[in-house]
Amino acid sequence: MSETKRVTLAIDGLKVEAAEGTNVIQAAEQAGIAIPHFCYHPALEIEGNCRMCLVEIQGLPKLELACSTVVREGMVVRTASDRVREARKDVLEFLLAEHPLDCPICDKAGECRLQDYYDLHGLSASRMVEPREHRDKLAPIGRGLVLDRERCVLCTRCVRFLRRVTGTGELGVFERGLRSEVGIQEGSPVDNNYSGNLVDICPVGAITSVDFRFKTRAWFLKRKPSVCPHCSRGCAVTVESVEGYPLRRSEKRVYRVTARENPAVNGFWICDVGRDGRHDIDDGRHAAVSEKGALVQGPSWESALAGVAAAMRSVPGPERAGKIAVVLNSRLTCEELALAKGLFVTGLGLGKIFFADRKSGPPDSLLLTSDRMPNAKGVLDAGFTARLPGLGELAGVEVLLVFGPYLLEHFGEADLARALSGVPSKYLFAAHTGPLDRLVDAVFPVAHPAEKTGTYVNIEGIRQSFARAVRPCPGVATEGAILTCLANSLGLSLGAADAR
Amino acid sequence: MAEDTVRLLPSDDGSWRLEDYLRRGGYGAARKALTSMTPKDVIAEVRKAGIRGRGGAGFPAGMKWAFVPPDVSGPKYLCVNADEGEPGTFKDRLILVRAPHQLLEGVIIASFAVGVRTAFVYVRGEYERLALRLEEAVAEARAAGYLGPRLFGTEFGLDVVVHHGAGAYICGEETALLESLEGRRGQPRVKPPFPATVGLFRSPTVVNNVETIANIPQILARGADWFLGRGLPKDSGTRLFGVSGAVRRPGVYELPMGTPLRTIIEVHAGGPPDGKRIKAVIPGGLSAPILKAEEIDVAMDFDSLAHIGSMLGSAGIVVIPDGTPMLDVLHVTARFYAHESCGKCTPCRIGTSWILKTIERLRREGGGPADFDLILRLADGIKARTLCPLGDAAALPILALVSKFRGELEQAVAR
Repeated sequence: MSETKRVTLAIDGLKVEAAEGTNVIQAAEQAGIAIPHFCYHPALEIEGNCRMCLVEIQGLPKLELACSTVVREGMVVRTASDRVREARKDVLEFLLAEHPLDCPICDKAGECRLQDYYDLHGLSASRMVEPREHRDKLAPIGRGLVLDRERCVLCTRCVRFLRRVTGTGELGVFERGLRSEVGIQEGSPVDNNYSGNLVDICPVGAITSVDFRFKTRAWFLKRKPSVCPHCSRGCAVTVESVEGYPLRRSEKRVYRVTARENPAVNGFWICDVGRDGRHDIDDGRHAAVSEKGALVQGPSWESALAGVAAAMRSVPGPERAGKIAVVLNSRLTCEELALAKGLFVTGLGLGKIFFADRKSGPPDSLLLTSDRMPNAKGVLDAGFTARLPGLGELAGVEVLLVFGPYLLEHFGEADLARALSGVPSKYLFAAHTGPLDRLVDAVFPVAHPAEKTGTYVNIEGIRQSFARAVRPCPGVATEGAILTCLANSLGLSLGAADAR
Repeated sequence: MAEDTVRLLPSDDGSWRLEDYLRRGGYGAARKALTSMTPKDVIAEVRKAGIRGRGGAGFPAGMKWAFVPPDVSGPKYLCVNADEGEPGTFKDRLILVRAPHQLLEGVIIASFAVGVRTAFVYVRGEYERLALRLEEAVAEARAAGYLGPRLFGTEFGLDVVVHHGAGAYICGEETALLESLEGRRGQPRVKPPFPATVGLFRSPTVVNNVETIANIPQILARGADWFLGRGLPKDSGTRLFGVSGAVRRPGVYELPMGTPLRTIIEVHAGGPPDGKRIKAVIPGGLSAPILKAEEIDVAMDFDSLAHIGSMLGSAGIVVIPDGTPMLDVLHVTARFYAHESCGKCTPCRIGTSWILKTIERLRREGGGPADFDLILRLADGIKARTLCPLGDAAALPILALVSKFRGELEQAVAR
């Protein structure tokens, strides 16, 4: 690929170098200068309708759009002159004149461009004394999305997203002039796997999600980056949770999962499967060790794990290879897989190491892959073969360690129960409650990927490390901690096990 | 000066058919261009003639043609803008009534010059019968071999598609016209890119007004020098001036560019009826800032009107007699633009409606100077800030009306 030509321009007196073809908004951003805008989005075609990004370009009589103006060598741009400020103020005054100003009950409050820009560029009292237009404030547009037409600034990001990114085109603008409204074609609501992005890209509170509406305020949310574990794409996500005030038992911590920009993996978007993954973080979780279906009060997972170690120790060394079996899964991080390798392969020399993963599903043409596990490549990289056990292979096994609930996706409950009944000691390490819980001696609660620090290798072989986005509940351990603890109890050193 | 008796249009509505047009020497200019000139020569001749666009903006037509890249691999298009929606304008209508073949001949010449194989005529929705007449003319031309493959025995072929608009003012804006022609909402596009490089179906496109194109056969037939001799050096040719309102003989008058406005109104259109006097004149369609009675000694050409803060626009002259309340004029003006704003960009969508709401309140409840200050500020917030020229078209007449007739307006709303 040939080197992109670069041009030099001046923005507010700063010398800026930008690649040819860059627009003024992007060039300014590179120089740390934010040019306000509603309709511009780097992934969508230029529409130029909000008129918020008007800037002064030396030599041109009118103010020009920073979104549609491409940088030229020697261009002199002013983004903070009186003329520019006045234009921004006027645009804001126009938008606010027909805005319901219901920020106190608006979910976008705190992360709304209209609010932010008013704070920076407006701050004038409205001169509008005429009655505002009244419009539908609760228009269901499909997939748990609600459109408030009074708040809409008609930037058409949503319309363009559905035309250009998903190609489904469910939304359009109807009517003309002040009566213009975003809407769905009759009888064909938004129905695609990327609908949640409409909430992310709406610059105001026009499109909100029923799942999030009226649940919390944007300023209570702690935003942490993570990697989505719901398929092998490994999209960049932001996990937005509330901490800091006491949560009642079973109260949720994670209010939403939103898309985070990563040009190498997912661009600007995530799919609804990943977005709905917020439920996966909070709902149906194990909070403490349970034995035979009953919660174990008192002992921590560490002391309960001593029982597992004891069972494993009871199998004489030479017999371990065939009498201790392990079922791992591809949701484990590379670091955890390395520990598993050190413990089960190198340390104990086990022969029966299997994998049980979520069944694959239909991919879509955008991001969602058919492999619904995040780290299949990492499993291969760690030197494992992700092989499902045959139920017959469990015969003769005395100690079984199962990581993850996915065996039941592949075997009927009765068949699996029969196979497991012959195993004297069996333990499950799972994040969520499920029918498999009943078939084992004890269940250890483990962390959700959002509660972990680790690395996944995605479908394209891209290694992505992520840090803990949400603090796990007390009593919940990562598989990494469990494996380390087991190794210690068994007197094995995993020091050599290196994730890399 | 001997009066040049050549007229753009026949003087009756009944001789529009092909045989009549051929009798007047029709399609001779197209034959000449296609059989004896290169496209380059044609563009050069039209550039030399200096004809400025008759749609409103006055951009030199030859230059517009020259902007189209000559050697692109894909198709190029010509779109004739017959979406004559500017209030006070009815000149293109007359061309469609009296000389549809002259328009088609101009289309052939322009298409040959630019390298177009398919040309479109976008006819205003309200001109349904005219669009049908034009379609009939296209059929006649096709049957006689003036449209279709291998025109005049050359390799050049052309087809013309007549498209019926649906009645939106905004579709007279060239990029909105293209959107509408493509089957989408008629809303303007961001420029650049300009249609000359990325236009209809993303191909290089020329958009010309009906009157501009209808002038082309004459220019080719009689030469650029003849055309230059008919107007002003910087604004050549004649223009179809539509005169309406308080005059004895409203109508369309073909007169040289630069004819004084007062002459057009008082001599040609017969001046105001008995007992009436001129109070104000809108010189170039509703978007052209209004002139007070004492301002009408102005030459009707692009530069002279721009010089006094108005514009020639579509050359639709509206004469407003004394006794007309300017609050009414302000109201209908504001109502038109609020109604026709396409709603795509913020200042026009909200600004035009806000102005209208304010005026309606003033009519209802009365008001004071601060309300007119507000109207001026709102119009300023629209001016030069919008996506397309409709913003200016809406703001400039409001600014002119309020500043020129402020005393009367304030009096009218005082309670």
